[in-house]
Amino acid sequence: MAAVAVHVESISKKFSHPVKGEVYAARNVSLSVQPGEFLTLLGPSGCGKTTTLRMIAGFEKPDTGRILFGDQEVTRLSANRRNIGFVFQNYALFPHLTVFENIAYGLQVRGLSSQDIQREVQAVLELVGLPGFERQFPAQMSGGEQQRVAVARAIVIKPQVLLFDEPLSNLDAKLRIQMRTEIRQLQRRLSITTIYVTHDQEEAMAVSDRICVMNSGQIVQVGSAEDLYYRPQNPFVAQFIGRVNMLKGQIQGVQGDRIEVQVLGTTLSVPNTLRQAKVGQEVSLVLRPESIQLVSPTATALRGKVLSRTFLGEKAEYLVDCQTETLQVLNIDRGPKLTFKEGNEVGLQFVEDTIAVLEEGSP
Amino acid sequence: MVATETKQSAWVRKDPAVALAVLVIWGFLGLFILFPLLRMLAEVFLQDGRVSAAGVFTILQDPNQLIALRNSLWLATLVGVGGTFFGFLFAFTAARSRIPTWLSVAIDGVILLPLISPPFTTAIGMIFSFGPRGLITYHLLGIQGATVYGLWSTLFSEIVTYFPIAYLALKPMLLAIDPNIEGMALSLGAGRTRVFRTITLPLCIPGLANSFLLLFSASLADFATPLILAGNSFPVLPTQAYLQITGLFDLKGGAVLSFVLLVPSLIVFFLQRYWVSRRFYVTITGKGAGQTPFDSVSTLVRWILVGLCFLTTFVIFYLYALLLFGSIVRALGANHTFTLEHYRIIFTEGKKAIQDTLIIAAFSMPLGGLYGVIVGYLTARKQFPTRLSMEIVSMINYALPGTIVGIAYLIAFNSPPIELAGTATIIIALYVFRYGATGIRTTIAMLQQIDRSIEEASESLGATSAMTFRRITLPLILPAFFSGLGVVFIRSMTAISATIFLVSINWTLITVRILENITELSLGPAAAFSVFIVAAVFVVLGIINGVLHRFRTPGLISAERMMGG
Repeated sequence: MAAVAVHVESISKKFSHPVKGEVYAARNVSLSVQPGEFLTLLGPSGCGKTTTLRMIAGFEKPDTGRILFGDQEVTRLSANRRNIGFVFQNYALFPHLTVFENIAYGLQVRGLSSQDIQREVQAVLELVGLPGFERQFPAQMSGGEQQRVAVARAIVIKPQVLLFDEPLSNLDAKLRIQMRTEIRQLQRRLSITTIYVTHDQEEAMAVSDRICVMNSGQIVQVGSAEDLYYRPQNPFVAQFIGRVNMLKGQIQGVQGDRIEVQVLGTTLSVPNTLRQAKVGQEVSLVLRPESIQLVSPTATALRGKVLSRTFLGEKAEYLVDCQTETLQVLNIDRGPKLTFKEGNEVGLQFVEDTIAVLEEGSP
Repeated sequence: MVATETKQSAWVRKDPAVALAVLVIWGFLGLFILFPLLRMLAEVFLQDGRVSAAGVFTILQDPNQLIALRNSLWLATLVGVGGTFFGFLFAFTAARSRIPTWLSVAIDGVILLPLISPPFTTAIGMIFSFGPRGLITYHLLGIQGATVYGLWSTLFSEIVTYFPIAYLALKPMLLAIDPNIEGMALSLGAGRTRVFRTITLPLCIPGLANSFLLLFSASLADFATPLILAGNSFPVLPTQAYLQITGLFDLKGGAVLSFVLLVPSLIVFFLQRYWVSRRFYVTITGKGAGQTPFDSVSTLVRWILVGLCFLTTFVIFYLYALLLFGSIVRALGANHTFTLEHYRIIFTEGKKAIQDTLIIAAFSMPLGGLYGVIVGYLTARKQFPTRLSMEIVSMINYALPGTIVGIAYLIAFNSPPIELAGTATIIIALYVFRYGATGIRTTIAMLQQIDRSIEEASESLGATSAMTFRRITLPLILPAFFSGLGVVFIRSMTAISATIFLVSINWTLITVRILENITELSLGPAAAFSVFIVAAVFVVLGIINGVLHRFRTPGLISAERMMGG
């Protein structure tokens, strides 16, 4: 049995808000992180992800619940006794210390000899691609470089858990993509247990082994990127991750691990993701824009009319009027001759295996 | 925040060092701020062991004292308005009219002179210029027996002395207004005057109010300028209180008079706290992205503004040049032959005053600087019961007019249990707990600039809170410590309103000697003393700036900017 690296057991934290009164920043949050795993807390701003992370770090104490690192309970330990590495949104580099002194700080606290410190700092600077920057001050460096120093400072102490609080939000788009790749590769190479907070779903999907989606202080679903995308368990996850068409339908029949759903005047056979599927039950279908294929109107029974088309290069976005619904459709563009134009009659086909089913009225 | 009983005792156990520091600080605050104030209130309100407001009523029924109260408030109002006007004029010119750097540096240098010299230095210049044998009245205009004393000369002198405070308060505020906001209004079709009237000025109103209150209380507290320039025709409260004590040896009467002064001072103090806290919400609108200042003023207006500033600066420069001139001629206005006689006098007869002043300053500086940093750090970064009251109490001696504080100290420490009258300790204590408060403000302001996450980063790397303070926080607030040193030194050299009650044969001060010289009409030595003070302040500030430079951290505010307040 693999030991759990970080175990969070139903922690809650309340704040008193001048207008809203008592607010839960985190409510009954429980999660387990495996050794070497990269877990991301994802959610809109104010969902409690940062508070949860700060409680794991020890900057805040939960009102109730427990936090364990391995077998050791750390709930009441202050941050300096938890052996964590923390990368802050604003990097929080010590402005009066050089890059070398910033990185050496945690090692000095741990009482390493100066030769060891010298060696470790050199090694980690190589690792993050900043050799030669030892004598620079943080204010003399670019945002990306400061970010690397922040990461180096956090990993050089070989923390039990590495924590990131929206580390890329101060970087421009291109650098953000580059840095997230580097962070992911670094984490793989060192296999440090990592908890990462972001509000950017694409970023979460790019770096994580598992993603924990939070909303209003609570966890709504935990799973891999594919799980969340193709098998969302509630409308919030379905709508928060990627784009979606939510369609109401009714179960016509249950056949093994598939169910037949009446929707848009036709019947689709989709994977059964419900706990209990009953004939006649109202459900919502989660239909991703790229799961709908536009074809020639003669090829299929289900037809629609193109309301608009937005050309995006390798793909094109359509709004298609079909029955009473307006569907978002995303198709690979196959050249000027084969695309559909505004006002065209089109046929619609579905990639049925990618469609998820939610019980009507699920949270 | 709900402070339960367990929390109350928990903070002691969690951080015994903080608990000890809090206790020690409260001990000092109690002894040197609350105790004197309470003793003074007792003096005012206790009549033969019974509580009675009779003393206050007697004063309020005395028409002479009522006139003094009215004069004080009237003068303070005029100084508040006039000083704010000139402060805004300079701040606006500096922030918006794109004057060349050398000119703004020169103007900054000259108008900061009044801040680092004794409060009555400009008054000496006034007498030199407009007195009976004044350079302007007698020599230039040929007026016989001109009188310089009264409201207008006092007002003029106080505005010149105090408007730099308004300038220092208003300039950062104008700079903080994103020029893009004004640019936006301009792009919507508003003319420059309209933009100024509808955008810039409304955004400045809290700052203007703040500046008015600062100057109002500075003038209300000013004792030396009216003593020299107001004359008999325009009595004000601080001088009345002083005369009551030194002239009539009526301690109780002086206490009552200064109590009357206390009420408007406290009102202004709390009003000002309110405006200062409001200020941050009003002006700092997100991240100041304004690197593109547009032409806020037309060329004509720019020249008018620069011209006015230049004229004002010239007047100040003239007053100080006159001071220097007066110190090296035999008798200004009568005999302009060069002499170093006045300097010989101050370094022989005045040697004791210089020595005493420097010794007291040397002790007050480190103590005051340390006090400011410790209290500032505790109140800004630590959670403990009575935190807010500590912050307020620590400001009391600074906020109250010096006359009140001086009289309170005189009453409190003149007799057992704690007898300090006539010692250097009482003067040092006064400086530390009165002027150390500026160090508290500077420290708090610096800590507000240092993101909490920097300390958390240190903690996450395993450092204890003591280590975080020593290695991270302390180096970052060191500039506040040095600027605290600077302020305490400046004030030790220039203060008079409080200390005039505390000097003795054993320990005297240069400022008190200057005052004596002026009343004896020996203006030469007074000028020489003043020049010495300005020179000493420049030397020490130069050293402190040099040290500060070594500790300068990129990206942090420079501390010397805050020194004026």
